[in-house]
Amino acid sequence: MVALLRKYLSQFLVLSDEELEALMNEIEVRSYDKKVRLTDIGDVEENLHFIVKGLARKYFYKGKEEVITQIAKEGELICSSVSFFSGNPSGYIVETIEPTTVYTLQKERLEHLYRQFPKLEKLSRLIITELFLQKEYWELERIRYNTKERFLRFMSENPDLFQRVPQKYLASYLNIKPETFSRLKHLLRNKRGSEKSSTR
Amino acid sequence: METRAYLDHTYAYLKRFMELSRSDFDMLVPFLELRTFDKKTIMVQQGEVDNYLNIVLKGLVRKYVRTQKGEVTIQLATEGHVVQSEISFHKRIPSDVILETLENTVVASIHYENMQQALQTLPFAEALGRSIVVHMFIKRDLSYMDQLKMTTRERFLRYLTNHPHMLQRVPQKILASYLNIKPETFSRLKHLAMKK
Repeated sequence: MVALLRKYLSQFLVLSDEELEALMNEIEVRSYDKKVRLTDIGDVEENLHFIVKGLARKYFYKGKEEVITQIAKEGELICSSVSFFSGNPSGYIVETIEPTTVYTLQKERLEHLYRQFPKLEKLSRLIITELFLQKEYWELERIRYNTKERFLRFMSENPDLFQRVPQKYLASYLNIKPETFSRLKHLLRNKRGSEKSSTR
Repeated sequence: METRAYLDHTYAYLKRFMELSRSDFDMLVPFLELRTFDKKTIMVQQGEVDNYLNIVLKGLVRKYVRTQKGEVTIQLATEGHVVQSEISFHKRIPSDVILETLENTVVASIHYENMQQALQTLPFAEALGRSIVVHMFIKRDLSYMDQLKMTTRERFLRYLTNHPHMLQRVPQKILASYLNIKPETFSRLKHLAMKK
């Protein structure tokens, strides 16, 4: 399990054994059932979760409708990030989709680590930058591509999520109406079929 | 305005991100550049790698992307705002977005290489860098949430209430694109708002 975290962190910088150990000492391993809320609207987010196993989503309510803005799987971070960074009450709910195991780091422990290990402060800046760029990338996708293109791009990049995540969640995340999503799904099946036949 | 005054502005803007003493700021100054652009100048072209992180000191910078349906405005940065082609700057890849001035503009900029150098040599730079990114992250998250949560009318009214001067500074077509409102709808909403 630590290997997964080490791999994630190594895309930013390489930590010494000592630094990784210090980080692991501050981390708690938590396991949740499916559909458990880790953060609710109005909570102040104190925790940052790294998913070791499972799936979680982040969403807010527009009237009665859930609007999903993140679906995170193994090897990804999730928390109510704006609340975590700003200290303001969360506008989002963070909830597991599957039974999920996470490495959890509390905010105050993270700040404690900065003081001891300057490299962790750098790591933290690089991770936040990456999260920001992902957000930027996601918004550009939404602007540059139409519904059908976004659907196909997402599905080809995340075929595993199509199997694991309820369709209405994916539709919400992609900002596509459920009916449209169902219709587009056929496109995917046809595409797969034609790929299969072409390899023969 | 003189260089000194522009630097004072830069210092004031940076202090919003973290507590920064004037002497710390003075250590940062050699890494910064003041850059001046005429209005309607392309600062970053599509396909070009963006080398700068900028804070607007005077003027207005528009960030937009070309799509099949035309230009879509993503950001309208005025005094105090941070603007750049973020993905291009950090990943060192060609930019998908275009930065263009709408007015005569002065920005305080840090070049990518200078930023790396500052991060290595100035003890407070990591914290400042982190704090700027966190700030940008929060702003982007909140505006995306608004985009999904609010109706066209709500977005229009809120934007013009919070940024009343923008109607004078920005062509209506561009404002409409920024707010993701059809130009016709924008005109209609404007007339309704004026009547009140």
